[in-house]
Amino acid sequence: MTVLDIRNLSVSYATPRGELKALREVSMTVPERSIVGIVGESGCGKSTLISAIIRLMAPNAQVGAGSVAFKGDDLLTLADAQMRALRGTEISMVFQDPMQTHNPVLTVGRQMMDIQYRDALSKAEKRKRAADMLALVGIPDAQARLNQYPFEFSGGMRQRIAIAMALMAKPSLLIADEPTTALDATLEVQIIKRLRELQDDIGCSILFISHHLGVIAELCDEVVVMYAGEVVEAGSVRDVFHSPAHPYTRALLECDPGHIKEKTRNLPTIPGSIPDMVNLPGGCIFADRCPMRFEACATRPAMAEARTGHKAACHLIKVEETA
Amino acid sequence: MTALLEIKDAVVRFAVRGGVFRSAGSIDAVSGVSLKIEAGQTYGIVGESGSGKTTLARAVAGLHHASEGSILYRGQELRDLPESQFRKLRREIVMMFQDPIGSLSPRLSIKSLITEPFRIQGMKDRDLDAEAKRLLAMVGLPPEFASRYPYQISGGQARRVGVARALALDPKLLIADEPTAGLDVSIQGEMLNLLARLQDELGLAIMIITHNLNVVRQITDRVGIMYLGKLVEEGDTDTVFANPRHPYTLALLAANPEPDPDAQLMRIELQGEPPSILHRPTGCEFHTRCPFLQPRCSRDVPAWQLDGAAAHRCHFPASWTGSEVEPA
Amino acid sequence: MRDASLPKRRSELGEILYHLVRDPLGLAGLVIVMLILASAIFAPLIAPYDPIALNVPDRLQGPSTAHLMGTDQLGRDTFSRVIWGGRVALQVALPTIGGAIFFGLLLGMIAGYGPKWLDNLIVLVFDTIRSFPTVMFALAVVALVGPSLNTVIVVIMVTSIPTYGRVVRTLTQSLKEAEFITAEKSLGASTPRIMAVHILPNVLGPLAVLAAMDIPTVVGLEAGLSFLGMGVKPPTPSWGSLLNDGYNLIRNTPWLIIAGGIPLILTTIGFTFLGEALRDVVDPKLRGKGGK
Repeated sequence: MTVLDIRNLSVSYATPRGELKALREVSMTVPERSIVGIVGESGCGKSTLISAIIRLMAPNAQVGAGSVAFKGDDLLTLADAQMRALRGTEISMVFQDPMQTHNPVLTVGRQMMDIQYRDALSKAEKRKRAADMLALVGIPDAQARLNQYPFEFSGGMRQRIAIAMALMAKPSLLIADEPTTALDATLEVQIIKRLRELQDDIGCSILFISHHLGVIAELCDEVVVMYAGEVVEAGSVRDVFHSPAHPYTRALLECDPGHIKEKTRNLPTIPGSIPDMVNLPGGCIFADRCPMRFEACATRPAMAEARTGHKAACHLIKVEETA
Repeated sequence: MTALLEIKDAVVRFAVRGGVFRSAGSIDAVSGVSLKIEAGQTYGIVGESGSGKTTLARAVAGLHHASEGSILYRGQELRDLPESQFRKLRREIVMMFQDPIGSLSPRLSIKSLITEPFRIQGMKDRDLDAEAKRLLAMVGLPPEFASRYPYQISGGQARRVGVARALALDPKLLIADEPTAGLDVSIQGEMLNLLARLQDELGLAIMIITHNLNVVRQITDRVGIMYLGKLVEEGDTDTVFANPRHPYTLALLAANPEPDPDAQLMRIELQGEPPSILHRPTGCEFHTRCPFLQPRCSRDVPAWQLDGAAAHRCHFPASWTGSEVEPA
Repeated sequence: MRDASLPKRRSELGEILYHLVRDPLGLAGLVIVMLILASAIFAPLIAPYDPIALNVPDRLQGPSTAHLMGTDQLGRDTFSRVIWGGRVALQVALPTIGGAIFFGLLLGMIAGYGPKWLDNLIVLVFDTIRSFPTVMFALAVVALVGPSLNTVIVVIMVTSIPTYGRVVRTLTQSLKEAEFITAEKSLGASTPRIMAVHILPNVLGPLAVLAAMDIPTVVGLEAGLSFLGMGVKPPTPSWGSLLNDGYNLIRNTPWLIIAGGIPLILTTIGFTFLGEALRDVVDPKLRGKGGK
């Protein structure tokens, strides 16, 4: 069963310069009990995508065509009250900046108990649940620490508390927006491991957004690569990282510092910059920066299957298949 | 030959005011660091938050006061040097900051920003327009940028403006604080390539502060790994990467895996978080997180041990066989 | 070479005006303020009569085509007195606020950037001044030196300095920690240079907003003092003295007090709208472009 099924989602922003088409016909799925990663650089639209899924978009955002099906129901057509019922219970989120996630004037325990407001449990039971969750994410002395304020915890611990809070209601889908970007690498490793264990325990799905390719490779089962508002490649982590089918993915992997083994004075980069999303050039979105572009790239490529379960939006794939 | 920069047992100490949750005292953000940078060399200082690397960089740039030890630039002691004398040296020792747009004065044009050093040093007889054009070209920005303002340019461009400003007076030592932080992976290479090119063209020595070991590997000749204010491993970059000995170095390498789901991961994982500098661990400061902990580690401070072109401080240094970590 | 293309950009003033006229309140405020300023500057050309010319036979007439706002108890044309009163209002407001800004900037920046002992001293001075109720202070000074326009100006200026000074001080304190200040220090910039070139321009924006919204207060203060007879001396027309005259004659000739009140209301509305709109324009710009 698919937990999340996004089809042809398009979102634009009304700006003084014109309509900024931030997402264009984005489609992807998150199967049950799996971890799907979204990889992309600035401007790829991952923030817009998340805000569209949980329906907390900026006032100047307009959703065009498309659907976001969560366990079969299109989230875009739900009433506000129904959406609110889902947030925090079925769909929960962890954000990037652990320093700003928590209310600074309430104790951690109070916050963790407050979010259980929908459950008919006694105060003591709620407290116990909170303490258990904290222990589960690896915070020692959980009972005592419930009485502490967020500023008494370090960044890494705050992020763990955020994860504990997100998972407390045993959601079906956890959306993690760059949860480890603000943390040191050695902490990142710990949290990723913990996240994996929790996911296994609770049986939820995770949508994990990051620009850190190494972490995605380690944590995720599948990955979706986004560029300037479109999905350019999707497949299992193994397929995409071992045999990238889209030139952007290939270039991105080549640039990743973890990938470059020998010392060089001339590091690879992707020359150029993302196109203007108000006045889009036609054709393939990556064409003007692609080393392999040819005439067909003047038209936008459809997603083609490079192999089973591995798709990319590139004309070259068809060429290979017919060759 | 005197090294361009020589740091000997430098200590940077900050007073800590007492408060509701803290007792008063002092912390040694940098607690006895020694290293040498030769002219034209690139030195990488690697560490995570709380390691003291930024504090050390700022002490060299004269922005923090070093409490003990010595910082020698071309043999001249910088510690306790009065600002009136340090000012002259600011032509040669320059710094590039981590927040690219935040380090640019918001109401000044790019041209004013990058020619600021000339005005500060009283060199008003220069043709500032021409200098601005020259500096912009040096970092690969078009001359039209001179009339832009910081809020009108991207982070990557602002970084380059920071480089241009730093290079204005032909410095000898550039301190770059996290030059690639926040940059998309696809353009990180541009910044590093730029620094490498400038070094080749100008004979510049560069001190790079970063938390990213992979960046360091590409561009540095020597590297120093810092933890809790001290160096734990130091030496020739190639040697350290080929044969890392200190468990923290190994952990850092393991934390930046290559994007390959089947890659052999160095199974070394640290426990817990860095301890507070207010309560330094006894013995080896790393022992509270070390996966190879032994009783001796909490008692004795490890001494430096030379190992080829690098050195480390660990009682039981591990070794990386290429596929797994072998504890001592 | 990447990112070589950039959209065309207006100058900073152009940018401010562009956003200002798009905000309906800002536009309204701008128009009203322009009107008030124009009428004050061009008073001799606009006012139909000499404001102090007596014409006792025509006294206390209601509004008519000859006298738009009627005449007062000495036959003087009220409309002309309102227009010339605007001049007085600005004559008081501009030097007052100008002076308060100048000293507030100076003291505020020194307090915010300088050593702690100096900061404590300056804040003490500010707090002392603020502890005096303005009107009481004014009355005391007037009792000592006699009422006049200059007395009013000095009194209001001195009592306004702490308001500006505190805002400047807070802004300076937060700017002091900004990374660009550290960068300038690393280049060897001296403290006076940092304060003049890097802190001052960043403080002016919020200060301008404060000043715009303070003008109605100052004008109101002047009117209040003149109403109490402590301000400008007759026959000089001031909105406050118009209110005073009208107050005495309110039962039978209400147009006088209305004429005195309308310009005050307009001034308050106009400058408040303008100030609020300015604040919205100035802030997000400093933070850089939005949108992802």
